[in-house]
Amino acid sequence: MNNNASEKLIFGIFVLPSLAFVLFATDIPFLLNLYYSVFDWNGISKSMSFIGMGNFVKTFTDDALFWQSVSFTLRFTLFYVVLVNITSLMAALALQKGSTVSILGRAFFYIPYIISLTAIGLIWKFLLGPGFDALYQLSGNEFFGISWLGEPKYAFIIVVVMSVWQTLGFYMINYITGLIAVPTDLLEAATIDGANAIQRFFHVTLPMIMPAISICLLTSLTFAFKLFDIILVFTKGGPANSTVTVTYDIYKEAFINSNYGLATAKSLIFVAFVLIVTLFQTKLTKKQEVEI
Amino acid sequence: MIFINSFKPYNDMLQHFLSLPKQWSLDKYIETWQIFHLSRLMGNTLFYTFCTVSLVLIMAPMAAYKLSRTKSTTSRVCFVLIILPMMVPFQSYMISLTRFIAGLHLSGTRIGYILVSAGLCVPLAVFMIHGFVKGVPLELEESARIDGAGRIRTYLQIVLPLLQPIIVTVIVLDTLATWNDIIINQLIVGGKSVAMNIQNALYMRFSAQTADWEHALPGIVISMIPSLIFFAFMQGKIINGVTAGAVKG
Repeated sequence: MNNNASEKLIFGIFVLPSLAFVLFATDIPFLLNLYYSVFDWNGISKSMSFIGMGNFVKTFTDDALFWQSVSFTLRFTLFYVVLVNITSLMAALALQKGSTVSILGRAFFYIPYIISLTAIGLIWKFLLGPGFDALYQLSGNEFFGISWLGEPKYAFIIVVVMSVWQTLGFYMINYITGLIAVPTDLLEAATIDGANAIQRFFHVTLPMIMPAISICLLTSLTFAFKLFDIILVFTKGGPANSTVTVTYDIYKEAFINSNYGLATAKSLIFVAFVLIVTLFQTKLTKKQEVEI
Repeated sequence: MIFINSFKPYNDMLQHFLSLPKQWSLDKYIETWQIFHLSRLMGNTLFYTFCTVSLVLIMAPMAAYKLSRTKSTTSRVCFVLIILPMMVPFQSYMISLTRFIAGLHLSGTRIGYILVSAGLCVPLAVFMIHGFVKGVPLELEESARIDGAGRIRTYLQIVLPLLQPIIVTVIVLDTLATWNDIIINQLIVGGKSVAMNIQNALYMRFSAQTADWEHALPGIVISMIPSLIFFAFMQGKIINGVTAGAVKG
């Protein structure tokens, strides 16, 4: 009995600190979210009027901006997932050998991933602003004269390009890890059988790196859904709300429009959505693992 | 490019964008350092990173180890409660988190920020270490126990050293995350300049339309230097760490 009690004490000593921190920083706020979402509340005033499902109804029926942000997020996801996976796989193929050049190349692609988004946002602003202005003066090239952040369609392109550039290194490393695991004798056998480089890639390499591909696809998918920091530091949703993502819309609703109740309701809708995607993705990964 | 231009006066940036600076003068750096109280910002950021990582390193391995070795309902419930935040995006509870911290009168304080940033790092750390512990043989612990070591001593002297590879990964991930954090600092600390980290301060200062590039560029370069040094030293480990952490992102 004594032994049992001390076992419990030890368990408490080991586990409670972590548990307390997590409850404090995430679990409790999340529960509060459920509570706030049924009120009409501006976040400051003492009076919170209970409106039941009102916030949810409002989001679904009377919130054009929210749906615009959903549409942006989906479009972004499509372009981002396709582009980042293709480019990072290409980079991985080019840099998979361990020579000095390829190590430098890897660092080149990888460094944006470890730099803070504040710095990245400002660097891009500088390049697109004074940088492009100067190049336009020098070369007269129309490309540099475009107001890249001033027009919705260009802003979309910039956000996609910037996200791809910033995260490419991460996926590249995943692909390199996958590529290194491809047995060289398989590739040699294919060469002897007369397969050219392209055939080797599609018939030998690609099937062998399916696990890496599925991980990268799924990670990039979740990344795209949650896209937030880049928007915050870079476009702030502009021009004319054309780059508002779902997450940024939630942030804006809470901290700029002061509609806390509505924002929490939206965030719950978002969570439900992300959970569905996550469940779907775990299922897909599981299936992959069985096949391999 | 940024580096080159950070040494130039603004007019030269516009007119001689691509060329090297006429003279490599550190004036702008010194000016920036003083104007933005960079010593304080760097100090804050270092302090935050150090505290967050230390807290996570103290708590997460203990919890993960015990949770992995104990097979009971309580243990399972605790584990789920701890790793739950990994499934839910941060944006979905940041609103209530901000209110909650304000309610505890911790907004704008260093301690409030550290508590939250450590709390946010714990779930992934516990999850990763938890998985790793499964691969660590039980026999060593048992023999230590037989030799008369207490549970806490067994943990400190036998288990902790065995967890070293995964702990390095956790250090790498959390250092980068805390050093580069902007949004949590902004939500918790807001405009309180004494408690800002460098990313938040740069963001606050330059994200508005003011085109003070003369000071922004040195600021950016200074804020990046520590990450780059860290990267240079830990290159291989960073890459392993980030890949390991992402599998369950």
